[in-house]
Amino acid sequence: MHFKKVSKAYDDHIVFDRFSLSLEPKTILSVAGPSGGGKTTLLRLAAGLIECDSGEVIREEEKVSFLFQEPRLLPNVNVWANVEITLRSFYELAERKRIALHYLALAEMNEVLHLYPHELSGGMRQRVAIARAFAHPAQLMLLDEPFQSLDIRLRMRLIKAFITLWEEERRTTIFVTHDTKEAILIGDRVLCLGDPQKPLLDEKIDIPRKARDIHDPTLMALEAKLFGLLMQS
Amino acid sequence: MHRTKRNVLLLASSLGLLLLWQVIAKSVNIPVLMPALGPIFTALRSLTNGPTFSTNILSTVLRALRSFVIIVISGSILGLIGGRNKTISLILKPFVTTLKATPVMSVILLAFIWFSSSSVPLFSAFMMGFPLMYLQIEQGVNQLDPTLAEMCDLYDVPPKTKLFYYTLPSLAPWFVAGSRATLSMIWKVVIAAEVLTVPRYGVGSRLQLAQVQLQTDVVLSWTLVAILLTALGDLLFEGIVQGVVIVRSTVQRRRADALQKSI
Repeated sequence: MHFKKVSKAYDDHIVFDRFSLSLEPKTILSVAGPSGGGKTTLLRLAAGLIECDSGEVIREEEKVSFLFQEPRLLPNVNVWANVEITLRSFYELAERKRIALHYLALAEMNEVLHLYPHELSGGMRQRVAIARAFAHPAQLMLLDEPFQSLDIRLRMRLIKAFITLWEEERRTTIFVTHDTKEAILIGDRVLCLGDPQKPLLDEKIDIPRKARDIHDPTLMALEAKLFGLLMQS
Repeated sequence: MHRTKRNVLLLASSLGLLLLWQVIAKSVNIPVLMPALGPIFTALRSLTNGPTFSTNILSTVLRALRSFVIIVISGSILGLIGGRNKTISLILKPFVTTLKATPVMSVILLAFIWFSSSSVPLFSAFMMGFPLMYLQIEQGVNQLDPTLAEMCDLYDVPPKTKLFYYTLPSLAPWFVAGSRATLSMIWKVVIAAEVLTVPRYGVGSRLQLAQVQLQTDVVLSWTLVAILLTALGDLLFEGIVQGVVIVRSTVQRRRADALQKSI
């Protein structure tokens, strides 16, 4: 997917000004940046939820799945139906069952299929949302700080669950986060927004995801750099 | 509060109310003004044994039910349209606001001038009940969570699925609240309209005839019947709502259980 000389402003606030970016297919791009720096706008442009003022957003990936900050589960249907109904446009019942169960099992939610969202904890709800995002036959995944409201232990568990699911079927992914560690542990490439014209930081991470340790000197240096940029901006 | 304790308290306060009535009736000692409980229940027994009792009840119930169905259907449809379309909402606003503030008796009297007596209860009930239903549904539509609608669109949820799994379930509490308020309102309006228009059969007509003949015990007996009808209607309505909720969650649970077993 490509952003070509994209400009976007909200009244007087210029978020992007002839901003360009290309994503490698089937990789994860971590996007950090200050509040109002354009992280969510980038995702909404990518999803086609908003139009840019000028420039072009070119998306080869036809289908998109979006993991929001909040789980956005339908409150009146149970865990199973919350995933199954998002597959109805694409598959017959038997296939829907297979796919929904597969991803719910990977997200460790296959024991609570009959529960309703109000009967689940915050972490469980987000797991269902993760299963739903992966079950959807999308080539592009957009994640908008999906773990931000959770405590550190739960966050780490969900990141692990996310990586397991992602590794099973790789898709082009934009992962927006405030958390510098999260950005470095998940992304194949890390981007820091803050300047409307170009990224403040754009670095690839060559260490395989599963081998990454936050105490690795290279990663620590990258995190310090990202942290510094975020503090400055 | 514990359920048993609550029920005991409710029963005690109801008995206290009856006792208070009896004490006042005995001290006033003018049966035409305030009959004691004994004559009231005797009158109630004789009117329930009367040949036209069920016809009177059925006539009122049918009038109320007909109004209820018309209000629920029209209020829901227009509420959905008004909630979605600001122009329609603004066009309907003066009509609804005026109706909400108009006294019941004014509507009934005007209806009596404009229409034949048989149409008055139906028309009056509609005018009084429609705003309640319409406003609830309109508010429900306005309160629909746009983030969930966005999620449905992003995940390509088919329109029919979106309607049955998101829109209608989200509107259900508003629909139930509107229907409940409408039902409570139309009993009162239908009976009041019957009192004024005196159709051949109806609880209101019997109340009116008993009042003209100064049969206070009969007036009170028919009032008791009206109270019981309202309570029964409310109970039936709550039963249906609970039934729907139980059936729906049982079906979903069974499907999920069957699925879990098949894993």
